[in-house]
Amino acid sequence: MTSPCRTDTKAARGALLALIAGVAWMVVSTPAFARNTLDVLTWCDHEDPALLGPFEKANDVKVNFKDIDSTAAALAVLGQSKPGDWDVLVADETDTGRLAGLGLLAPLDAKDFPFGDIPTAIASPKLTSVNGVLYSVPEKFGYNTIAYNKTTFDAAAAADINSPWDPKYKGRVAVYDYYVPEIEYTAIALGMNPEKLTDADLPAIKAKLIALKQNAAMVGDVTTVQQALATGAVDVLFGGGEWVTAGLAHDNPNLNYTIPKQGGVRWQQGLSVFATSQKKDLATKFIQYILSPEGQGKLATSSCYWGMPANSKAVLTDDQKTILRWSDQPTYIKTTFPYLQMTPDFDKKLQAMWAEVLQSK
Amino acid sequence: MIRFFSRYFGTALATLYMLACYAFIFLPVGVLVLFSFQDGRLPVPPFHGPTLVWYGRALGNDRLMAGLGNSLIVGAVSSALSVLLGFLAAYGIARYIFPGRRALQAFLVLPLAVSYLLIGMGLLVTLSAFGLSPSLEMVVVGHVVINMPLAFAIVLAQLGEHQRRMEWAARDLGASTARILLTIVVPLIAPALIAAFCLCFTLSWDEFLISFLVTRFDVTLPVVIWTMLRGGLNPQTNAVGSIIFAGSILLVATVEALLFGKRRA
Amino acid sequence: MARTLAPVVAVERSANEARAARRDRLAGAAFTLPALIWILIFFAAPLVLMAYFSFTPLSPTGGRGAIGLGNYRAFFAESAYVEALWNSVVTTAIVVVLSLLLAYPFAFAIATKVPRSWQRLALAVAILPFWTSYVVRSYAWLLALSPSGVINWTLHALGVTHHPLMLAYSPGATILGFVHFFIMLNTLTIYANLVQINPRYVLAARDLGAGAWRSFLTITLPLSIPGVMVGAFLTVVLCIGDYVTPQILGGFRELLLPQVIMMQIQRQLDLPMASTMSLLMTIVVAIVYLAMQRWLRMARL
Repeated sequence: MTSPCRTDTKAARGALLALIAGVAWMVVSTPAFARNTLDVLTWCDHEDPALLGPFEKANDVKVNFKDIDSTAAALAVLGQSKPGDWDVLVADETDTGRLAGLGLLAPLDAKDFPFGDIPTAIASPKLTSVNGVLYSVPEKFGYNTIAYNKTTFDAAAAADINSPWDPKYKGRVAVYDYYVPEIEYTAIALGMNPEKLTDADLPAIKAKLIALKQNAAMVGDVTTVQQALATGAVDVLFGGGEWVTAGLAHDNPNLNYTIPKQGGVRWQQGLSVFATSQKKDLATKFIQYILSPEGQGKLATSSCYWGMPANSKAVLTDDQKTILRWSDQPTYIKTTFPYLQMTPDFDKKLQAMWAEVLQSK
Repeated sequence: MIRFFSRYFGTALATLYMLACYAFIFLPVGVLVLFSFQDGRLPVPPFHGPTLVWYGRALGNDRLMAGLGNSLIVGAVSSALSVLLGFLAAYGIARYIFPGRRALQAFLVLPLAVSYLLIGMGLLVTLSAFGLSPSLEMVVVGHVVINMPLAFAIVLAQLGEHQRRMEWAARDLGASTARILLTIVVPLIAPALIAAFCLCFTLSWDEFLISFLVTRFDVTLPVVIWTMLRGGLNPQTNAVGSIIFAGSILLVATVEALLFGKRRA
Repeated sequence: MARTLAPVVAVERSANEARAARRDRLAGAAFTLPALIWILIFFAAPLVLMAYFSFTPLSPTGGRGAIGLGNYRAFFAESAYVEALWNSVVTTAIVVVLSLLLAYPFAFAIATKVPRSWQRLALAVAILPFWTSYVVRSYAWLLALSPSGVINWTLHALGVTHHPLMLAYSPGATILGFVHFFIMLNTLTIYANLVQINPRYVLAARDLGAGAWRSFLTITLPLSIPGVMVGAFLTVVLCIGDYVTPQILGGFRELLLPQVIMMQIQRQLDLPMASTMSLLMTIVVAIVYLAMQRWLRMARL
């Protein structure tokens, strides 16, 4: 008879071996991709298979994406990543200077991209370049203004930026959960110059936002506010625009948006290549594809949200151009302000203020 | 007579209450399945249809199918590891006396008493502190942390005195511990092991928060669905939910039939 | 969930008692070692690391600051955070009470009114929706609660309301979503406890002349408390740490702690602050555990 002591430890040793084998499996099974990959940090509109498919096929590459909903979110993801983890960034172009200042972005060559087809206001170096060096290529823009349901909300009321504060619409208002445009738009409602906000302006903006929250039924991200407006849970969306109504034009033709007489906020996304990317050529190709007339058409009508393509040669049907209000753009651009530019410190302050607004009763 | 009436009344009331509960429990499932047949881009009332187009789209969606595959792998591997480790630990604690046994038992089930958020945060902080990349493997690690204590508790409850005598008998006849484990203990508690595996798999399959925190590109199905929900309204999500539901019912029914049938035989 | 542990039977002492004891020590420890190592490396160590993180706040430049209570002070100085903690505690308490009050009669009806051979099926059907994706289910509630959804439609058809009620996107919707999940869970735990109660106790009480109510209140209810408590504790643990339900259904009318924690991770990259908040949440759960320990022990958690 073998010593029970030996056999017992033998069994236990087997168990330990199983554990080691399990860990080894996990190390070994780390997927080794046969295909090349391009890692993109992006807003949800670049995740549409209809947009990515043609590029993936043509270059035999898989586009990996991670969803962000603000530049702050992008910085948070980058903080948890190693240099070289990411190739392309899609972000609000207003932050180009800040991101380039952190040394995150690679310089680009304007000759590689169809700048001749991009309206001057959109291609403005103020948003795309730092000290004459190009860091970001504009790709899509639109508005954070007032979106509403035509059958329940008066078009005349929508022409006034203050209508969402009207007690008449208590419980019928939705607020888009993105602190940058919402704070800026509130500043416009207060008659401030939204491009030159300082710490001194914040208390008034906070009070005004809390008043808005009290009149509002809900706050939500892109999809949530879209659903709320589409189902009739709310009648008006503060900070809404074509990005919430255009994609639903056929399913719910009653949805509309307008730029109030006091003005509005213009969002604008740009594409950048990360300074530490190991695949800069492929990244540039990706930007070229997105800026191509086909890519622009698909991006403009992406399933997450629609928006105006930066390239005026974008392939779109007349119907789609009407929905996007192609011909109104020159006026719209004139009456809207781009996103405000923030220092990291000011950004933190705005975020803390936004959390307090969300928490207010 | 009064007693008969009150009893009858009580039963009627109980039946009514049960029906109300079932209705409440199945309400979201019904809505979910109904709008998976929605003919239109918006999965919102009023209902138009029915159409099967969203099922086709969902099955043809690469990312969904990749998430499905990942979830199956994570579920299977993490549950197998959980049951293996839980079984060994339970056997050690049930069959041997050593100092600190009670404390060890309490320590091993401790993860059951904390939120998934805490476990996910812990792994995220660890990744960040050591500069590691998020990955599907970390989900397996996290799911073993949440499920192994469960498997351990289930198996420990099943390791009774009955098998113990057979084990002694086998040992007296000269069988090694490994052999005793494989030929006596495992077959005797096989139903508990299978039940533990199924429970672990179910929990892993539907776990969102840990998976969300510790992955980047290769993600599990709940994370894909979450991303889809944020990426625009789409009845595909409903179709996927309905498919998962149908598949799970089938799986549960099969397992039930297998285990239940065996017990009767 | 089977959380009852069978009593461990003492080892028969043989002649070579000492050797056997030594063998037991070694082998027993060896068997538990893999599980122990796993929990130590992937559960205990990360928690220690989190605790360390929570005591080293981020400096304004984004680097690590000096060790101190800065994060905890910052947490309690920010009203939005403290309110989130409070909201989480209140929401969890409401969910625990509501789901137990609703689940108990349900489990009781299944255990007493349904024929024995059908009980298994009745219970299985009651927890069937558990197997739809949790994320999708929360979002299905949005559809059910929308102004043209099934609930508003029913209320309107019954003449209860004339205008659609704003049901979705509110703290109430969050609670509803939670209660839906935890009714299923608590029905399971309470039922499991109820069927373990020896029916002879109740029969004896009835024979001695106790009415149905009295025998329920004096016998069945006290004996089923351990099951209720296990369910309650599970509800606390799972509810207070959930992010999906409030994020989808709550409409950001008020923030719960997990939402604020995710904000720290996703927008501010402040892992030390997120760690601080997670640990504070865990302290709340630990307090609940200590308060309920007596009953949880009885159920041999």
